[in-house]
Amino acid sequence: MILTPAERLRVRLTVNGEPVERELEARRSLADLLREDLGLTGTHVGCEHGVCGACTVLVDGRSARSCLLLAVQMEGASVTTIEGLTPADGLSPLQEAFRACHAMQCGFCTPGMIVASTELLAATPEPDEAVIREALAGNLCMCTGYVNIVRAVARAAARPADPGSPA
Amino acid sequence: MSEPGGGWVGVSLPLKEDARLVAGRGRFVDDLGRARLLHAAMLRSPHAHARVVRLDASEAAAMPGVLAVLTGAEVAARSGPIRPLIPTTAAVPDHCLAVDRVRYVGEPVAAVAAVDRATAEDALERIHVEYAPLSAVVDPEAAMRPGAPLLYPELGTNVVWHDTLTYGDVDGALARADGVLRERFAIQRYASTPLETFGAIAEYDAGTDAFEFWTNDQRPGLTISILAASLGVPQSRVRLHCPDIGGAFGNKRRPAYLLVCALLARAAGRPVKWIEDRIENLTALMHACNGIMDVELAYRADGTLLALDVRDVADEGKNLLTPTQHNLIKLGNIANGYRIPAVRYEAWSVLTNKCPSGANRGIGKPFMCFAIERAMTRLARRLGLDPAELRLRNYVTADQMPYTTPTGAEYDSGDYPATLRLALERFDYAGWRAEQARARAEGRLLGIGIATSVEPAGTNLASYELVTGRRAASGSAEAAMVRVEPDGQVRVSLGDPSSGQGYETVVAQIVADELGVTPEAVSVARGFDSATTPWLYLSGNYSNKFSVTDVGAVVGAAARVRAKLLRIAAHRLEIDVADLELRDGAAVVRGAPDRRLAIAELARTAYADVLGLPPGEDPGLESHHIHQNPLARPVDASRRIRPQLVFANAAHCCLVEIDPRTGGITLRKYVVVHDCGRELNPLIVEGMVHGSTVHGIGAALLEEFRYDETGQLLTSTFMDYLKPTAADVPTIEIDRLEHPSPVTPLGAKGVGEGGAIPGPAAVANAVEDALAHLGVVVRSLPITPEQVWRWLSAAKPAGSTEP
Repeated sequence: MILTPAERLRVRLTVNGEPVERELEARRSLADLLREDLGLTGTHVGCEHGVCGACTVLVDGRSARSCLLLAVQMEGASVTTIEGLTPADGLSPLQEAFRACHAMQCGFCTPGMIVASTELLAATPEPDEAVIREALAGNLCMCTGYVNIVRAVARAAARPADPGSPA
Repeated sequence: MSEPGGGWVGVSLPLKEDARLVAGRGRFVDDLGRARLLHAAMLRSPHAHARVVRLDASEAAAMPGVLAVLTGAEVAARSGPIRPLIPTTAAVPDHCLAVDRVRYVGEPVAAVAAVDRATAEDALERIHVEYAPLSAVVDPEAAMRPGAPLLYPELGTNVVWHDTLTYGDVDGALARADGVLRERFAIQRYASTPLETFGAIAEYDAGTDAFEFWTNDQRPGLTISILAASLGVPQSRVRLHCPDIGGAFGNKRRPAYLLVCALLARAAGRPVKWIEDRIENLTALMHACNGIMDVELAYRADGTLLALDVRDVADEGKNLLTPTQHNLIKLGNIANGYRIPAVRYEAWSVLTNKCPSGANRGIGKPFMCFAIERAMTRLARRLGLDPAELRLRNYVTADQMPYTTPTGAEYDSGDYPATLRLALERFDYAGWRAEQARARAEGRLLGIGIATSVEPAGTNLASYELVTGRRAASGSAEAAMVRVEPDGQVRVSLGDPSSGQGYETVVAQIVADELGVTPEAVSVARGFDSATTPWLYLSGNYSNKFSVTDVGAVVGAAARVRAKLLRIAAHRLEIDVADLELRDGAAVVRGAPDRRLAIAELARTAYADVLGLPPGEDPGLESHHIHQNPLARPVDASRRIRPQLVFANAAHCCLVEIDPRTGGITLRKYVVVHDCGRELNPLIVEGMVHGSTVHGIGAALLEEFRYDETGQLLTSTFMDYLKPTAADVPTIEIDRLEHPSPVTPLGAKGVGEGGAIPGPAAVANAVEDALAHLGVVVRSLPITPEQVWRWLSAAKPAGSTEP
């Protein structure tokens, strides 16, 4: 029988290391699962059509738009959000660099920027400015003109992360 | 943290709020919940102009999970029309949903509240609307012509305001001039598009007939009065909260949406949340006015400016909230930083079948600056002068400050020539001019653009008397509260909710200096709560006003608390107040630092041991203060106006390279030298300059709300309404001068809009500079690669593939 948008399906996934099992409407986005069902409101929704990058999360270590993914597609996946990248006490080195450089104003894009930067630095520990700019080109910031964001990522890259820290 | 020698103000203190925002711990309106919360969705017009013949929502209302449905007819019966945000001549009723006629694509006609957003959106599909399409008018000059389709037939015209303001002998100057430069410029519709869209939660308490709102509306003072009037309740029964606001830039003020939520909440008996989606945001929230400007600049052979004559058409769309706002703010800023003895301004404010225009970073000033700075650059080319030299010959100079412009603005301080000179130096202007010539010889197209601007701050609604003939609102003011809590820690609240300006940090710096404590000891309330924040009609986050009014409110409230702390300490120490100072968290006897009373101890006296107070002193340590900026004036007998008050300034210098084959434009270098008076926290100031400059770049090269001739918006997603990404813009290099304002308490000036004002002109001047040898003149924005390719193609010999 054909699947309808409101039909409920069961999905099991891992979010920030915790197992999650839910029965959800097929049309429910991953962003809605995270924000509304799990209360992880650090993931922000800015455009709902996959351009602005505010909703970026890591899915099995790769950045993904949680507004474009259906929650029920996530069967077996491991999802990491800004909450999962934030230490229980204090901030990660990348977050500290963002704060030191004032790499935000309103802060709405920031979680997505941190997630995208985490992916970048995992693959390219010493990116130059052009590489940073290209890596963040999928995340819109309307406030900062990107200057301090680029500085923050470069600063975090220059100071290797503590191997024990989440970022 | 110990107090720096010169105090906390002026220190690049990392931001308190950044610590939570970087961890995703901000609280934005969509992060908030309420028990039994419903979710709203709105049905919007697919037509630019149509009569609503029939609207049947009965099928939607019967759907499971739907708790309330609202139509235009019901809105008209249950609520009053929306009061304009400013005094206006367009006295036509405007409700929160279209009643019998739609006037732009995206205008809401019905709304649903349901158990979740998906159900609400499903229900919209069951609302049946029959429209009778009408001819739409999209072009503002067409809208001005007799016989044009009328948005409001009862007004008899689409022109909301037309007037000619003359200051000085313009005709004489035009007649005497050695030459007159005449140009026509246009600007597109664009918007700053905060990354967080608009949203609200409304709750109705039937027991007390009271409404409560949580919203990212950036101008709560005015909004509360509009909501109360439309809902028919006293303002004392409307409570409004602003949580963290994810950017605003002027766009976030639409009381209609709050009213829709309120009416749904009252009907359903449950709280209702509505979060605008991005297509709704781009289609229907707020666009900067597009417009057309004819400029005549009369000059002497040496380049001295004699007169400026401007005809300005502002396309308001269906803007009944703030029509004429763009016009008046342009008029207030018309002379830019130049000595122009005579000015004439003929203005039209025109309604069309497009999204309501309204406040957007810089309101009108980016276009005014674009027109003037393009004209100056054209004039320099005509006279064979360097564009920097022509500007230097015409600036208001530092020794002429304060300087009153012909239209009534008072430039309070600054050194405009020095600002440009420093920018040229930082840019290496001479070096790049030489490089440009070398590159040209190689067939490469480099262009250098210069634009400079004044950046006014603050607001004064008295100026609208020029339009309406009566004064309905006036002045420039904000309110703040400073309270030392019983434990000695400090709490501050402000009528202006930050939307990214770092108030929790910079306000703490200001108060820390006043009270001799550290910024950590000062907690500044996030956002706004009308029940706990002091506020007035003018309260809000807009008009670049922090330095003009808010700082004064904070300083004033803190100064009263400071005086009281000192009086209590003097009484307890049996010493004269003049012998005491507040520092290191205590009242300390000058010259005898061991004799001290900690602020916590003074607070204990003030709240708990009130018999220890000086005779006649009231218990408690709390003060409210409202600061009014002294520069605000009514319209004077010469029709001079002062819509904004305190003037910062900036010089932009940028380098573009154009791909001669594709027309692609690369910004290679961008230098800004700005002067916003005393910088209260340079880390915040720099961020503002970076961000607003990139807004200007976006307007220059990428962003356009483009309508077809039937009024359909063609760019309603971020896939076709293009924003600058990190890969599109260079690092904005900044340097500064600091000429403190004599009319603000700490000498600070506005800094939120400065980059957005000259940015479009600087980039346009650079592009034209790269292509001028091909006869190219930039007269409109955005300058797309397609446009440049067409210019290059037209300049090439037929059949040639090389430039």
